[in-house]
Amino acid sequence: MRITVRVNDREYRLDVEPRRILADVLREDCGLTGTHLGCEHGVCGACTVLVDGAAVRSCLMLAVQCDGGAVRTVEGLAGRDGEPHPLQRAFSAEHALQCGFCTPGFLMAAAGALEADPAVGEDPERVAALAGSGICRCTGYEPIRRAITRAAREWPRPAT
Amino acid sequence: MRRWARREDERLLTGRGRYVADIRVPGCLDAVFVRSGVAHGVLREVDCTAAREVPGVAGAWSAADLMDLPACPHAAGDLQDLPPVPRTVAVGLSPEEAVAGREWPVLVKDRVRYPGEAVAVVLGEDRYRAEDGAAEVTFRIDPLPAVVTPSAAAEDSVRLFDGLSNIAFEGSAGRPIDEAVLQGAAVVVEARYRQQLLMPTPMECRTFLAVPEADRLTVWAGHQMPHRLRRELAALLEWPPDRVRVVVPDTGGAFGSKSALFPEYVAVAFLAVRLGRPVRWIEDRLESMLVATRGRGQDQRVRLAADAEGRLLAYELTIDADVGAYPHLAVGLPMQTAWMATGPYTTPQVRATLRSVLTNTMVTYPYRGAGRPEATVALERSMDALAHRLGLDPAELRRRNLIPPASFPYRTPTGRCYDSGNYAAALDLALTTLDYDGWRAERARRRADPAALPLGIGLACYVERSGGEPGGLHEFGGVEAREDGTVVARSGTSSSGQSHETVFPALVARTLGVDEARVRLAEGDTGEQPQGVGSFASRSAQVAGAMLVHACALLVGRARERAAGLWEVPVGEVAWCDGAVHAGPAVMDLAELVKLTGPLRVDDRFAAGMAFPFGAHAAVAEVDPELGTVRVLRLVAVDDCGTVLDPVVVRGQAFGSAVQGIGQALYEGFAFGEDGVPLLAGALLDYLLPTDAEVPPIEIRDTRTPSPGTPLGAKGAGESGCIGTPAAIVNAVADALRIADPGLLGTPLTPETVWRAARAPKLPERPV
Repeated sequence: MRITVRVNDREYRLDVEPRRILADVLREDCGLTGTHLGCEHGVCGACTVLVDGAAVRSCLMLAVQCDGGAVRTVEGLAGRDGEPHPLQRAFSAEHALQCGFCTPGFLMAAAGALEADPAVGEDPERVAALAGSGICRCTGYEPIRRAITRAAREWPRPAT
Repeated sequence: MRRWARREDERLLTGRGRYVADIRVPGCLDAVFVRSGVAHGVLREVDCTAAREVPGVAGAWSAADLMDLPACPHAAGDLQDLPPVPRTVAVGLSPEEAVAGREWPVLVKDRVRYPGEAVAVVLGEDRYRAEDGAAEVTFRIDPLPAVVTPSAAAEDSVRLFDGLSNIAFEGSAGRPIDEAVLQGAAVVVEARYRQQLLMPTPMECRTFLAVPEADRLTVWAGHQMPHRLRRELAALLEWPPDRVRVVVPDTGGAFGSKSALFPEYVAVAFLAVRLGRPVRWIEDRLESMLVATRGRGQDQRVRLAADAEGRLLAYELTIDADVGAYPHLAVGLPMQTAWMATGPYTTPQVRATLRSVLTNTMVTYPYRGAGRPEATVALERSMDALAHRLGLDPAELRRRNLIPPASFPYRTPTGRCYDSGNYAAALDLALTTLDYDGWRAERARRRADPAALPLGIGLACYVERSGGEPGGLHEFGGVEAREDGTVVARSGTSSSGQSHETVFPALVARTLGVDEARVRLAEGDTGEQPQGVGSFASRSAQVAGAMLVHACALLVGRARERAAGLWEVPVGEVAWCDGAVHAGPAVMDLAELVKLTGPLRVDDRFAAGMAFPFGAHAAVAEVDPELGTVRVLRLVAVDDCGTVLDPVVVRGQAFGSAVQGIGQALYEGFAFGEDGVPLLAGALLDYLLPTDAEVPPIEIRDTRTPSPGTPLGAKGAGESGCIGTPAAIVNAVADALRIADPGLLGTPLTPETVWRAARAPKLPERPV
């Protein structure tokens, strides 16, 4: 089936089998291997990407469901000039990753939430919900919470 | 401030990390294994014919089919059959006699011995096609009764190998306890504990990509011991080792589970060589939960005796260890528990005996802690029970028995020689950090208030072993100064998230006095570092760190000799300072020296002494006896890993490790059906890993007692949380419930377990 998907602001015209999951198409057909598969049944969150701005488990969505849609992956987080995203800086500064395998999922879940409402970072419960949205076996999550809070603090404020 | 805290961070945070599954090799086939849904049975037939007709399937083989394959042009083709999985030679994990007569075939030949054991392998142009093919493979297994606990299997009423006992290994440490001592003791605590099977569960499952080229094979794998993998693969292929190169790219966690050669790796390597095509196996989570190695799995009995003042007299630990269906990987691992049975105390008589028993489960293998958690949990739970029996404060009971700092090196009755320690200092720091007295007051207040939820305080003092066993305490590597002013540090270790790329160059830069930015690490590629031991047993900082410091000293020595030659002065007059040689007014940095005198590279092998990290963990838990729920209110972990190379990295590992320890105590575990198959239909929804919601306030503190085993003084870090935390939490729950039999609290402490324990007989009231 032919589909057109915008991934990280680039248009991809793809011919994909309807059964292929979004994560596999991103990784294999688009060559964007930053999205990782940790469980392939929607529990661990490592494969989280943004589809039309909302965080989804890309192992639970078929690529054909994204026809005409816009997908953002960890490769699309940094600015056009290559400037790291506040979340990328904060995750590093707070040591919110060790092996790094689950990290893209946490980054994208947090990016979706903070971009929708930067005030998320001021509410510990909403930060905890983001840190609780995936599984990390290395860090124990506390550094992930700190990183999301820190990124929110450093979030670019609209000019007033 | 630097933009990235670790060198690994930029690529891992921008999607440019490279894990094995990310590597694109043209023409690569995906391997999918067809697995038994039966725990134990006789394989009657496997038919791959239909699978081979599926579009996109490159081949499908059962064990019998592989035997019929024509010889390929390489040496491997001479083999009429896939070789069986080799045993672990290192550190006595799998002695020859335990393996004799018990072959572990790569694909089932006639008997299935654990659920998920592979009966066929299918290669496809991609994963989808390979799975299409796998769905068409038909097979028939006549089920046999399955045994899934060591105590049941030890009866030998069901045998995994005909004519051989399920007891594959027996061992002991320490002399038998003098029964008179037990009879004369004021108190003897007797208890039984079950250390449940755990799944290490790194977020990246196992990965293996084999790329044949001419008469060579390059393997990419997320792995802790690339040199072992190369050695074992080469031996199986009957090739010299230099025809196999193993590369470990970014690896998504391991925790002990990625250091062996597994059946799937053998199949993939052989098919790649025979077909002359790249083949990969990217394990998925569902199969990982069936067939990745498990940790722990011990049924324990203890007797702990003390006099009326609480001085320990004797401790006896009896272990039935579950080693899974094949003894090849770690049948001797429970000896770690036996050797560490003494713990941090001066107990004069300690005896541990064990039986390693085969069961119809996937194989047990080191998981973070690897034998030491089992020792610590048994002893520390018994210590709290003893304190209650004696009416002594558990902290005071421990203080009376901890090995004093002046006693090191300390030879234990179970054969260890502890290198250094100040165990009481760690305990005191844990108590102060916790506000022990404050929580004791709160506990008393709640006991007096019938409306309040009970609260308990649990302690665990531990000592563990790091670095490895004699014969495996060395590492290979070196340092090289280059003309362009850069320094390459080489090490036989392998990182799976431990920040080696950041920590080791910083160590070398500090040691040489050069700019950190000029040093890079070469690791995890047998093509670049031909010899190595690897990263396990918390050995990288302790052994490889010391090796790098040693290599730096050799490099400095050679630099001084060269400068002495250049300047025609005695070498004694050439000093080394800030990355440069000095003699009087003459100064020359390393780059200049190399330009003038040629390449300067040191490679060596360095052996460390065994090290014994230690610490004290303390937990406060609130229990709801009506719901059976446990809420950890506070956890303090004080760890001592000697000299610390990077405090932030060590703290991060200690924290993550403590959360795995919480999982072990409260959440992680699985049950078996009547047929011996794990009840994991919901996969990760059935195996409860801690999420952020389960993480209590945790405070990580440290004391630093250097190891005399190397000039660097580092001991192992990163496993402490799995060792100290589980016992502290279970003790806190036992304290809250005041139950008389500590063995009732089997881990994980599910609501059902806690609810039942809350209804069990209580300890007599005593002022504590």
